[in-house]
Amino acid sequence: MVTLFGKRIRLFRPRSIWIRRVVQWFFFLLIAFISINHTLVENGGGISFFSSASLHAVCPFGGVETLYTFLASGLLIKKIHDASLVLAGIVLLLSILFGPVFCGWVCPLGTVQEWVGKLGKKIFKRRYNHFVPAKLDNVLRYLRYGVLVWVVYVTATTGTLIFEAYDPYFALFNFWSTEVAWSAIAILAVTLILSVFVERPWCKYACPYGAVLGITNLFRVFSIKRSELTCKADGACSIMCPMNIPVDTKKTIRDHQCISCLECTSEAICPVAKTVLFTSGGVK
Amino acid sequence: MTMTSKPLAAIVLVVIFGGILFSSAMGWWATTSTKEPVTFTEGEFAGEANPADIRGSYTFGDISKSFDVTPEVLAQAFDITESDPAAFAVKELETIYADSGVEIGTTSVRLFVAYYIGLPFDTTGQEIYLPQSAADILLAKGNLTPEQVAYLEQYTATLGESAPVTEPQSAAEATPIPAETSSTTSEEYIIKGKTTFGELITWGVPQEVIEQIIGAPLPDPAMTVKDFASANGLDFETLKPALQAEADKVKP
Repeated sequence: MVTLFGKRIRLFRPRSIWIRRVVQWFFFLLIAFISINHTLVENGGGISFFSSASLHAVCPFGGVETLYTFLASGLLIKKIHDASLVLAGIVLLLSILFGPVFCGWVCPLGTVQEWVGKLGKKIFKRRYNHFVPAKLDNVLRYLRYGVLVWVVYVTATTGTLIFEAYDPYFALFNFWSTEVAWSAIAILAVTLILSVFVERPWCKYACPYGAVLGITNLFRVFSIKRSELTCKADGACSIMCPMNIPVDTKKTIRDHQCISCLECTSEAICPVAKTVLFTSGGVK
Repeated sequence: MTMTSKPLAAIVLVVIFGGILFSSAMGWWATTSTKEPVTFTEGEFAGEANPADIRGSYTFGDISKSFDVTPEVLAQAFDITESDPAAFAVKELETIYADSGVEIGTTSVRLFVAYYIGLPFDTTGQEIYLPQSAADILLAKGNLTPEQVAYLEQYTATLGESAPVTEPQSAAEATPIPAETSSTTSEEYIIKGKTTFGELITWGVPQEVIEQIIGAPLPDPAMTVKDFASANGLDFETLKPALQAEADKVKP
């Protein structure tokens, strides 16, 4: 706020949710250290006091993949450990409360896509993240549910971690390992290339875990809500949304693609205070 | 209640790491295998270790601690000739048999252990291959049900003339062929120095006939006829014609 000609005027400067970047960096480094240490430990080295868990053990999606086998037989599929089920439970709890915060704040693959996306923003400016025709985009958004059904089905019927061979997340943190399939590396490469044009392409179109967590957007406790009374309808919130959700046309965001990044809120891009809020209550 | 970014960040971190700490305290947090398979919870085998929970990270030694099968038998079954079979990790099998055309790995070990001990194992809808050497041991043990024998016949892979596997790179040269596609030519029914008692059983030579010819109970199925003859002061060339005659009777 500044005082000009005796009046207090709020000068708007677009802000970002910087704490989210800190949390993203933290989890990226944590997972990278765990994965590197796992490789070192397998080769007789590593840091003894640091976790030497495999990447599968600290991935909550493993809990989803093994769920059928676990319920049917009490067993976990190969390479999955109890920790995956625990993490899946924790992430589900967070999602019921706040939506897919895991996607927007924790998942290192989403973070890396955002980093690459910064390059796309510099190159394409306002055209960035608007290359895919809206009709096609709307259809492609449901592709990830197809991926989810396929992963759950083949994992249940084979009892093995089939998705590992196609998982760009596994490839990202194990590209130096012989365990990674070329198909996974190819999918990671395509994802990173597409990230120059589209924000979070893997999350939008293919991520099976994003599909699971996205469902919680329909009933989560805290939601993005817009006050129609104070909204200036400048569309800033919609432009800022990495998932292209038209926030400025809705009162409550129940879109299955929201990742709870808060970039559309009055704390960040919205120039009007208390207009786009992340709240459990209602807004006027 | 309205939430801003900083409390949300704190909650995310607290819930994740608090959840991990809580689950550790409750004994639920495990990022590595305990090397102790879960047990059957119901039925005739309740309380016994379940072979279906054997992991790739287990060594043959780990398996022998939970199941009544020695590392040496497992090594024979999967053609591993390392000096310390107890230290051999199950997940290495996938590398060793990588070029085999069929998958022989952790699931194969699970099946072998279950059949060897006589524990239930669900193979419904699964194509689990075993090497010929493993099938020989199981058939010679003689405790399989007709359905299990039929399953083995369908999903047994035979190694060629290659030497037993010791290193992954040398194993790649050994190409198992699915039993159903490999030809059961008359060549395979010729008794050679390398022919094992397990192979004779697999061909269909009755155990009692073999025992009658060799004058002793059936030895270890992985033992060659020639080695048996040497060990017992017998002449291989004397045993060979009699066994060959029986092999010729069952030759397709």
